[in-house]
Amino acid sequence: MRFLDYLGLVFYNLGRRKGRVALTAIGVVIGTAAVVVLVALASGLQRNATRQFSQVGNLTLITVYPKYGEVMSQPVGGGGSGGSGQPQTKLLTPQAIAELSAIEGVAQVIPRDSLRGGARLVAGRMETYPFIMAYDTPDLSVFNFQMKEGVAELKRGEALVGEYLAKGFNDPRWRPGQPQPEQPEILGKQLKLVVQKFAQDGTMTERVYSVRIAGIIKQRMDETDYGMIMRMDDLTQMNEWLMGKRINRNKEGYDMLYVKTTDSKKTTEISKQINDLGYQAYSPMEFIQSANNFYTIIQIVFGGIGAIALLVAAIGIANTMTMAILERTREIGLMKAVGATNRDVMSIFLGEAGGIGLIGGVGGVALAWGLAQVINVLAASYLTNPVQFGGQPPGPAAYIEPWLPLFALVFSTLVGILSGLYPALRAATMVPVVALKYE
Amino acid sequence: MNGDVFISIRQLRKTYIMGRVRVHALAGVDMDIPAGSFTVVMGPSGSGKSTLLYLLGGLERPTSGQILVDGRDLSVMDENALALYRRSTVGFVFQQFNLVSSMTALENVAFPMRFSGIRTGERLTRARALLTQVGLATHLKHRPTEMSGGQQQRVAIARALVHNPRLILADEPTGNLDTVTGYSIMQLLSELHQQGRTVMVVTHDPRMLRFATHTVYLLDGRVVSREEFEKASALPQEEKSAG
Ligand SMILES: Nc1ncnc2c1ncn2[C@@H]1O[C@H](COP(=O)(O)OP(=O)(O)OP(=O)(O)O)[C@@H](O)[C@H]1O
Ligand SMILES: [Mg+2]
Repeated sequence: MRFLDYLGLVFYNLGRRKGRVALTAIGVVIGTAAVVVLVALASGLQRNATRQFSQVGNLTLITVYPKYGEVMSQPVGGGGSGGSGQPQTKLLTPQAIAELSAIEGVAQVIPRDSLRGGARLVAGRMETYPFIMAYDTPDLSVFNFQMKEGVAELKRGEALVGEYLAKGFNDPRWRPGQPQPEQPEILGKQLKLVVQKFAQDGTMTERVYSVRIAGIIKQRMDETDYGMIMRMDDLTQMNEWLMGKRINRNKEGYDMLYVKTTDSKKTTEISKQINDLGYQAYSPMEFIQSANNFYTIIQIVFGGIGAIALLVAAIGIANTMTMAILERTREIGLMKAVGATNRDVMSIFLGEAGGIGLIGGVGGVALAWGLAQVINVLAASYLTNPVQFGGQPPGPAAYIEPWLPLFALVFSTLVGILSGLYPALRAATMVPVVALKYE
Repeated sequence: MNGDVFISIRQLRKTYIMGRVRVHALAGVDMDIPAGSFTVVMGPSGSGKSTLLYLLGGLERPTSGQILVDGRDLSVMDENALALYRRSTVGFVFQQFNLVSSMTALENVAFPMRFSGIRTGERLTRARALLTQVGLATHLKHRPTEMSGGQQQRVAIARALVHNPRLILADEPTGNLDTVTGYSIMQLLSELHQQGRTVMVVTHDPRMLRFATHTVYLLDGRVVSREEFEKASALPQEEKSAG
């Protein structure tokens, strides 16, 4: 049979019983729509999550932490610190910075340190407790800070604060029943930073520093949101007072390093190399990848739930095809009598079953598309928290990826074909005479 | 035409098993039919006439024995070969016409040509020509329900001719028709014979014998002579079935 003739015959046969085909296809429509909408919801979740990570943004950054006294799993050659097999501590010393800088594809290594004690930031009656850190780089542009107010530059005695910290001041003297105090204006203001030092015997001494707030950093979904960034020389000065001695970076190292890579595609690989050198490295890429795996599983689970609806539809198709074959038994006998091969008969009925699946699939994709629009409109009006933190509004709640409709059509057609398999096989293997004599 | 053997049947048996009962529809049939002959098969109801035609048409398989048509052995053909044999060598005409009720006369005749991969244009041209040949040039667009029995049978005959088969098998083609209409169908079959085809017709109508070049009498699944056949036909029913 020519392919076009074959298709023509299949659709002619479907057209002969439009009503029943339509009723059977409705089951497939619902099943397919369920699969598409649920997978689209999972995709929407994933995209929103990924967007938030990449908003934070920097897929070329790896954070490296020191490793303390563990037996390394594999001996590492080179790298300056010998003694393989020994319990090894990998501190973030200048030597380590040189080691990491030498890795192919590393653009820059930026040390970070944090305050080794408590500190209170005071603005008038209001106060808050920042996480204080400093980056040892003259140029903060690597971090791509989006400023809510002010600039991302630090002179001596200046600090940048995270958006949540800037909004998180409270009044220690406030009592329930009193009106909520207003958040202080802090940009450009000279605030008091009270650093607290605890001696061995538990007594506390305080020292007051003065800091000017040079800028407020927009929400980044990381520790800067509640943090305060100062210059390294200012921070070192406070730390040296806290520890009562000069800091030797060769002995103590930094508490964290940012490794910036030349290309986000290399990030995961370089992160792995750094881990192999004995440090603890993390990159947002890895996080996004593991999040992606998680959402892929959600998609499969959601898709599977939808597929149950399709399974019910499949039973409907099988039923309709079985009926059709009973009703058309004599016609099958005739087809064979005039020279149709078993394969011809088989393909015709499989084609009809697949056709019902395809028709239902088209309807299901259309329905799912409509549903996704409705869901997105509803989600946009009910779920968007008034964009209070200045973040971007979330993306669509249900996102139909371009491959999804195609997959749904192929899948529903396959479901149809599979459901038609047994009836079609029965039709194909009928003895012509028996079929012709069928009443 | 010529006297070459076209159909050769040897020890042909067809046994139906119904529970414990074995029905010997054909109980060892031998016959040789020359090419270009017009054979009329006669016999009482249940004697195995239809069974013989179905086996010859490749519509079912024999229990044992051999059927050679044009030198090819049907009993050893696989399903595919048998389908090709039905498509190319045989045109089958049924008592119940077996037209597809949703298709017009033209579509019914053109239908089998789909399976042999003939293009739409060629299909319709051929179908139109055949319907004209059987005298239905004015009924191309009629559906089976819009035609008389005789007209339907003409459509069925036209359909049997689409692959220009050398063998026409007709199982009581006039059985559902009145005598006058039936006679015109017989004439049509006779014309096909005169065009050089080998025709085998099962019928109860003795008028058909005037077109026959050969006659086969079947009795209880066996080929018998005319004398035996007439003797059996003359006997009352009870005695016949007792014998
Ligand atoms: N599928 C079947 N199962 C069981 N028995 C069958 C089957 N088909 C035919 N028979 C039996 O085989 C015998 C021959 O049947 P067949 O149809 O060939 O007779 P026939 O000569 O064509 O009769 P009629 O003139 O009534 O059409 C009958 O006894 C019939 O009951
Ligand atoms: Mg019969």
